[in-house]
Amino acid sequence: MKKFFISAIVAVLTLSSCNNEGSPVNTVESMKTPQMENFDKAFKSLGDPQNRPTEEERKRNTSELSDRRKALLVPASKELILSTGVTEAELTRKTGDDMSQIIVWATQIYMQKSDEIRKNIKSEK
Amino acid sequence: MKKIFALLSLCLMSYAYAQHSIMIVNNFSTTFDFQGNLSAHNYSGSCYPYVTSSTPTMITVPADSHTSNGKELAYKNFKDQFTGSLYPTTNWTVQTSPTSSTIRAWNHPSIAPGGVISYNVKWASSQFQMYYAGTSIPEPSFGGLIGESPDPCTGAPGYISTSYGDAEWFNITTANITYSYLQVY
Repeated sequence: MKKFFISAIVAVLTLSSCNNEGSPVNTVESMKTPQMENFDKAFKSLGDPQNRPTEEERKRNTSELSDRRKALLVPASKELILSTGVTEAELTRKTGDDMSQIIVWATQIYMQKSDEIRKNIKSEK
Repeated sequence: MKKIFALLSLCLMSYAYAQHSIMIVNNFSTTFDFQGNLSAHNYSGSCYPYVTSSTPTMITVPADSHTSNGKELAYKNFKDQFTGSLYPTTNWTVQTSPTSSTIRAWNHPSIAPGGVISYNVKWASSQFQMYYAGTSIPEPSFGGLIGESPDPCTGAPGYISTSYGDAEWFNITTANITYSYLQVY
């Protein structure tokens, strides 16, 4: 009898835990805006064969990302900045169209948004 | 009014300090876990202070952990990384000269953001080793020292290319901000 009860409890527990699996879980990944996703993709694309540093770029006397590769990050960075309501004119005025400034600004927005998402997930739990 | 301005500028300053350098590790490799330490050091004149993560000895960033899935390593500074990152470092080894070395907990005031040490160092390098995902089996040819290059303090290369994958260190810099990236492909 005891054994029966224990196995019944185990069965119920197993079933209920499986039941939870189907319910949607909010993750940072699933709550990112499309602009954030594109920003991610841009950084990942630096590893694509054609985007890796060339021999010449590796021999440069600096670790600063080359202009060619920064240019790969700029479109997604701009998109992310504009998605916060900043206008094209403001973007140009604040960054002087300097690629590093655009990427750094976008990164700050990105990190702030990720922090907010993480906080929201925590408060939902 | 003056007070408000003073307060406001102080806030802005501390904000700038808190963000003036950030370290991000993206492990895009799906085959290998990254295990390594992270170092920051002074760049004006001597190499000291020189700060290296020491507990854990090796920080593990598992295979396929990067900004795209929110599993990247992101350290804003020696302190806030402990509560704000997925890969907390408990202790840092702080060298103030070649002969003086002290172990400091993440929340020790001497390495707090805006402090003398924190303000005078920049992320510089990582001694790392790639392991087959989820195992303790290293791939001997995929590892080493990588970092800002050239850097007389470390001598690290900025790019490592192997038949198993590549690792690179790069910075994106503006007047007062440096973001350092270590990406493994």
